[in-house]
Amino acid sequence: MLSIKNLHASVEGKEILKGINLEIKAGEVHAIMGPNGSGKSTLAQVLAGNDAFEVTSGSVTMHGEDLLEKATEERARDGVFLAFQYPVEIPGVSNLQFMRTSVNAMRHHRGESEMNAAEFMKMAREISKQVDLDPAFLKRGVNEGFSGGEKKRNEIMQALMLQPKLAILDETDSGLDIDALKVVSDGVNALRAEDRAILMVTHYQRLLDHIVPDFVHVLAEGKIVKSGGRELALELEERGYAWLGIKDDETAASSALSNSAN
Amino acid sequence: MKPAPSLLSSAFLQPAGQALPAPLLALRKQRGAALVDMPMPTRKTENWKYSSKYLKLTDEMAVSLPTAGKTGSALAVPGYKVAFINGVMVPEASEYPDLNDILIQRFSDLSDAEASELAERLDSTLDAKAVQFAGLNTARFEDGLVIRLKPGAVLDQPLFIIHEVTADASGSAFPRIFVEAGRNSQVTLVEEFISSGQEAVFVNSVTEFTLAEGANVTNIRLSMGGENVQHIGATGVTQQRSSRFESHCVGFGGPLRRHDLRVRLEGKGAECKLNGVVVTQDTQHYDNHTTIEHVAPNCDSEETYRNIAADKSHAVFNGRIHIHPDAQKSNANMSNKNLLLSTGAEIDTKPELEIYADDVKCAHGATIGQLDKESLFYLVSRGIGLREANVLLTMAFINELVAQIPVDAVKDTVQIRLNQFFDQAFQEV
Repeated sequence: MLSIKNLHASVEGKEILKGINLEIKAGEVHAIMGPNGSGKSTLAQVLAGNDAFEVTSGSVTMHGEDLLEKATEERARDGVFLAFQYPVEIPGVSNLQFMRTSVNAMRHHRGESEMNAAEFMKMAREISKQVDLDPAFLKRGVNEGFSGGEKKRNEIMQALMLQPKLAILDETDSGLDIDALKVVSDGVNALRAEDRAILMVTHYQRLLDHIVPDFVHVLAEGKIVKSGGRELALELEERGYAWLGIKDDETAASSALSNSAN
Repeated sequence: MKPAPSLLSSAFLQPAGQALPAPLLALRKQRGAALVDMPMPTRKTENWKYSSKYLKLTDEMAVSLPTAGKTGSALAVPGYKVAFINGVMVPEASEYPDLNDILIQRFSDLSDAEASELAERLDSTLDAKAVQFAGLNTARFEDGLVIRLKPGAVLDQPLFIIHEVTADASGSAFPRIFVEAGRNSQVTLVEEFISSGQEAVFVNSVTEFTLAEGANVTNIRLSMGGENVQHIGATGVTQQRSSRFESHCVGFGGPLRRHDLRVRLEGKGAECKLNGVVVTQDTQHYDNHTTIEHVAPNCDSEETYRNIAADKSHAVFNGRIHIHPDAQKSNANMSNKNLLLSTGAEIDTKPELEIYADDVKCAHGATIGQLDKESLFYLVSRGIGLREANVLLTMAFINELVAQIPVDAVKDTVQIRLNQFFDQAFQEV
């Protein structure tokens, strides 16, 4: 379904992704792990089409079509969904207006008629229950005044509503307490389907206890340095990134300190 | 040697119509005499600094536009209607019931005694020095309208005043309205400025409100004239004890748009709420100057203005709050936020606070920015088109103020005009 070949990307002239190769088939769940600064979020943003990142070489195809030449909204309409690590707050646009506009943009793209307000509300109410959000939130501004956990649940709610082909989850577990983690994981597991792929980006192993991946990849300094099955995540948990010869934050920070001391 | 300052052309001091009662003719003449040698604003005139270059009056525009035989657009309104055409009220095009406690009269229908009383009060809500062009309206009005609400009078529906100029030829119009809201009276007055025809015209309007104790007045003002209309308008308000004035000014840009809004809180416990939305595009201009005078103690003022400028347009906001020495326990809040939709657009904002009392709460804030890139990315990442995402975010900037407009039909009119604005502002997106 998704084929990433030798992908290089940079931001403000600094190369972050240095040749990513990854094949994802429909029905699979992949986890990308790695220390902070390894390029995990950049990969997620590049796939979704954030033009703050410049793709300098390589290719990405989805269902055989060149993904990189499509605008962000076209990728979304073709089924790419990014659950943001830090969803933005947009006061003045209600969640309801936002989601309905989004759902109808997708329907329009598929040549289906728009959903009317009543139909939409019915669907929105049901799904908001599934992620344990009070439907009253629909009237508030997009993510406005939401706690970190509510924002993450709102992302999953949108994924459930839009039923993407490729769901990319960027640090969806960060900032969640154990109950919220359960709600979010149940939501993601509900997304698992034969015709859908899920790509999870995470720093920690704990999410993978709830959403069991088919493949785990370790990203370091812009490259995938190791791939394996779910046991790879457990091994990382036990032995840390240093086991793979990767500097993690703490070692990087302390070496920077000793450099400046010299 | 300094070059001689440019003066208001004497052509602008020839009023039309002699149908007014003697005291008002005398007032008009007196104001006209005072304006001989009036210097035209320049970039060095502080309160016209950003706008003087847009003011382009020619002698062809000086003559009063004809009023005879004009009926104007047959605009249906959900309420009572008073039609002004080229600055003069046209009874045949107006529709409102005969009410005992609310009097709506043309200046020309007043008795000499009533006219004399009115002549005393005209301009009393405005400061002639600060609002230079209000005096020109008094020197030129051809007729005018006085609306008097007796104590306790409540108008059950909004009163729409449709100010139309028919610009089939060059000329000018000087609509004048004086509203006297008696004790505990209530009224919602909607003023819509519109135009037809394509010739260059000048509109110089003044609307005054005096609110007696406990009066409650809502004024909605829509400025929607064409690209051939230069409009300088002023609204003056004085408020007595425990009265409330609420204003919603929505302005669409033009070659020159200037609105001065002055509110004097003269009685204890009076409050005013001033909302303003301005959108400009192409090479349009719009300038809002507001002044709130906290004269009496325990008064509240809340002011919220938003400007959106696209293309190479230019919006100006100058908001002054003046708290007088006796105005203890004043509570004043002013917020002005500005959105630039292109790099060629310009917005100038200047909050001015003058505080002479020590026990007051006074806050102000002004910001200028562009649409947030992250928010745009978030919206398009959900399949929403870039154009629609731009519209959603721009609308979000003024949603709150549009939603507060208390007459639904006006809200709809505003939304239709805003959609036209978005269509053009984001056509290349």
